[in-house]
Amino acid sequence: MLGVGPRGPLGRSDPEPVGGPAARRAGSPRDATQDVATRALAIPDAGTRTLRGFAAAEREAWVVLAGTEGVGPVTFSRLLAAYGSAQAVLAAASSRGATADLVAASRGQDGSSPTLAPAAARALAVSAAAPELLLEPVRRSGVLVIALAEEGYPARLRAIELPPPVIFLHGAPDSLGRARSVAIVGTRRPTAQGRAMAGRIGEAVAGLGATVVSGLALGIDGSAHAAAVRLGTPTVAVIGGGHDRLYPAGHRSLARAIVDGGGAVLSEFPPDTQPTRGTFPRRNRIISGLADATVVVEAGARSGALTTAAWALEQGRSLHLVPGRPDDPTVAGCLAFLREAGPDARIVAGIPELLEDLGYLRSVALDPRQAGWPSGDLAPVEREVAIHLAAGRGSVDELVDATGAAPATVLGALTSLEIRGLALETFGRYRPAGSLAASGRPPVRIPVVHRGSRAPHAA
Amino acid sequence: MLPVLASVLSATLLGITGRVVRVEVDVAPGLPGFTIVGLPDAALSEARERVRGALRNAGFHHPPRRITVNLAPAEVRKAGASLDLAIALGILLGSEQLRAGPGRAGVIGELGLGGEVRRVPGVLPMCLALAACGVRRVIVPADAAREADLAPGLEVVGVGTVAEAAEAVRAARSRRTRPVPLPRMDALADTGPSVTTTIAGQPLSPDVRVVDLADVRGQAVARRALEIALAGSHAMLLVGPPGAGKTLLARAIPGLLPDLDDRAALAATVVASAASEEPVEALVRRPPVRTPHHTTSYAGMVGGGPRLSPGEVSLADQGVLVCDELPEFDRDVLEALRQPLEDGSVSVVRVGRAATFPARFTFIAAMNPCPCGQFGSADRACSCPPGVPDRYLRRISGPLRDRIDLWVSVDRVPPAVLLGRTPPEASSVVAARIALARRLQRQRTGETPNGRIAGRQLRRVCRMEPATLARAVLLAEREGLSGRGTDRLLRVARTIADLQGCAQVERAHLDEAARFRAPVDRSARREAV
Repeated sequence: MLGVGPRGPLGRSDPEPVGGPAARRAGSPRDATQDVATRALAIPDAGTRTLRGFAAAEREAWVVLAGTEGVGPVTFSRLLAAYGSAQAVLAAASSRGATADLVAASRGQDGSSPTLAPAAARALAVSAAAPELLLEPVRRSGVLVIALAEEGYPARLRAIELPPPVIFLHGAPDSLGRARSVAIVGTRRPTAQGRAMAGRIGEAVAGLGATVVSGLALGIDGSAHAAAVRLGTPTVAVIGGGHDRLYPAGHRSLARAIVDGGGAVLSEFPPDTQPTRGTFPRRNRIISGLADATVVVEAGARSGALTTAAWALEQGRSLHLVPGRPDDPTVAGCLAFLREAGPDARIVAGIPELLEDLGYLRSVALDPRQAGWPSGDLAPVEREVAIHLAAGRGSVDELVDATGAAPATVLGALTSLEIRGLALETFGRYRPAGSLAASGRPPVRIPVVHRGSRAPHAA
Repeated sequence: MLPVLASVLSATLLGITGRVVRVEVDVAPGLPGFTIVGLPDAALSEARERVRGALRNAGFHHPPRRITVNLAPAEVRKAGASLDLAIALGILLGSEQLRAGPGRAGVIGELGLGGEVRRVPGVLPMCLALAACGVRRVIVPADAAREADLAPGLEVVGVGTVAEAAEAVRAARSRRTRPVPLPRMDALADTGPSVTTTIAGQPLSPDVRVVDLADVRGQAVARRALEIALAGSHAMLLVGPPGAGKTLLARAIPGLLPDLDDRAALAATVVASAASEEPVEALVRRPPVRTPHHTTSYAGMVGGGPRLSPGEVSLADQGVLVCDELPEFDRDVLEALRQPLEDGSVSVVRVGRAATFPARFTFIAAMNPCPCGQFGSADRACSCPPGVPDRYLRRISGPLRDRIDLWVSVDRVPPAVLLGRTPPEASSVVAARIALARRLQRQRTGETPNGRIAGRQLRRVCRMEPATLARAVLLAEREGLSGRGTDRLLRVARTIADLQGCAQVERAHLDEAARFRAPVDRSARREAV
């Protein structure tokens, strides 16, 4: 399957055969998600999803247990089930000769092989003996900690298979639970058009009040976040390492802007975790998990964004891919995914169409003659340039050729159109924007008012 | 024989400026010897051997006495072989083998051992310096006589041998007169040779054909930008993938520039004279176009070296400096371009010597958008890792980018345009507009082209109608332009107006100028918000 190994993204860092989307798709039905969530919690009164008497000491024990190298979400839940509480697990780990017991406890209820490696069990003993080694960096960096067992844990994320037991974040926790949430991901090496597309999608969904979720990477991710920040809408960045090792460093100011803008920078890794090759595919499940829908803008054949796409489908969320020309390597991954995933994956046919697919807009047919296109009080030469621009002539050479006007005149007209928001330029190429971009005189779309403030996944 | 003190006026070259040197020769009784004092460099110290050989082989007598040559002013370091002939004549005068006629002559020339007089670089600036001191007659190497002739108000005697030079001294006639002010250039047009179209120095390698714009299809924006750049002497940077036609456009430059006016022609000729190993035969009327390779060293670009020679920026004075593959130049070399772009001159300082060279060139640069060259291109994908295209652009430092008025993105020309119906304008049409724009600028601000106007002067020449001013404010605000950026917009708009012959900057000029902005969205590629 695309970009996902046979053992799923988690296979890299956890020795356990957890089965990523690929492995799961074969057998397990969609509703397995719910079971897994419950099993992952393995708390007697799971009905409330909140552990009674979740005291500070137990919370710290969660951080220590989840932060121990080699303890993934599956192991965490099995150990918790076997011992009753994280504190109990640590107490057991600190006693002499507990390694074998711990390994045995990490066996599945169905007798599947243990997920805790002996080395990890020894690491757990060290953690139990010196919990401050793990707690101190968390306190020092000032991140907020939310445990799976707490109320504040985002409902959408709780609903996925293998939710992280503990999440660390800078920023506003309530940005995680807003009514609308869309993940926008893609290549770190976008074309100018891809970058602009990500920005426009980001602006469009953020403009309708949705949280933009992405991975803070260079390229598409950054453009999507930046669009939301520009609009002053909360956006959530899920990073692939610890907060103190923010990657990529070039997006440090963007991360600050995200937090300042009421959004959050979130990670399942403790703040001092160095990002590695393995941590990024693993965090991708959180990106898709925090959103109702995932939009992929430009993904090459082996892009990590495809893992996010696979997770989105696996988590039962909607998936939208921006298509492109078949011979364009920057969208090869999107096209291959569309072909293989079948009807579950939708094509982004345009931004209004995407908003309609997301359920944010509904279309109302309107008399096209009333649309008045291209609109505005344009000078004759500007109108001429606008019409050719909308017809796909993107270079000044083509516009000069098509309009027969002098280059100087065409250049001036383009400035005029740009000021009116009808044209955008990148690298000397122009494309229609605003009302000019909706060139096919489409039906007018009106916003759908969303009722209720909680996310649909909140039980 | 009584000791006689002889004194001959000569000159040396410092950078591209002539320095008048008085050569005093004392031939005194005592142990035979030959000393040169007055801070001579190695080449000058060796003049002793050349003078001795030349005099003997030319049939003169090298007196077996204590010969002391003093080069005044004593504290200025002197270099080169231009004083050879003056020293030899001084010895002849000092030993009374020769008696000078009335009046004084300046003497310039290098000697061969056989007594022949050879050309040295920089005869023209040296003659200008002598003329400024009131000398009316110069004795120069025969093959530099035409070059010396370009200096106005001088009687030039070209000599091939020491004997001819001695004859010329004997016959000297012109009396020292009051100093003449530096040449009035309109007079120069008559005395100088007729306008030529030879290109100074070696601005373009001979195999490079000058391209006519009629043969360049597409690239409307780049063509227009080039026109504006050359008209207003604006610095311009073309960014585009290989094969977009950047080089072709650069080759059209020589055909677009008007002839230099008299003052500029003399300045260009002085530089050519100082830099060239070949004698300069006529005034350099065609603006130089220099295309230094990106491996050019700091000294090669700015000037310097043992002889304090002018670098590429000065060789391009009054003309165009074309730098292809701009980010590939050494960082030091790029940084060194800042001063000439700002001031129109460049200073080279060495221990004990400093020179300021003129460097009033139009800067035309080109670069790929990234190391692989494909970033931003419509038809091919860039294979550079993330972030690399940005770092590539950042190799050109902010201060240097600030000095670039015209930014142009070029891409490969689509076939539809290559075969399109719009016939491209020919170079002659564009050149006429450029000449018009330059004339208007000269009438308005004299020597300063639009590209180097700033501050109050810029506001003055860009006075606008209130509605136009509002447009300028809107554009500046929209682009988030800094003070420098706003100045760039105004300067470019001014030149666009000049190309049209408009006295006032109008809205259309501003709108067009706004298209040549620096790519802010690229430098903010890291999504700074």
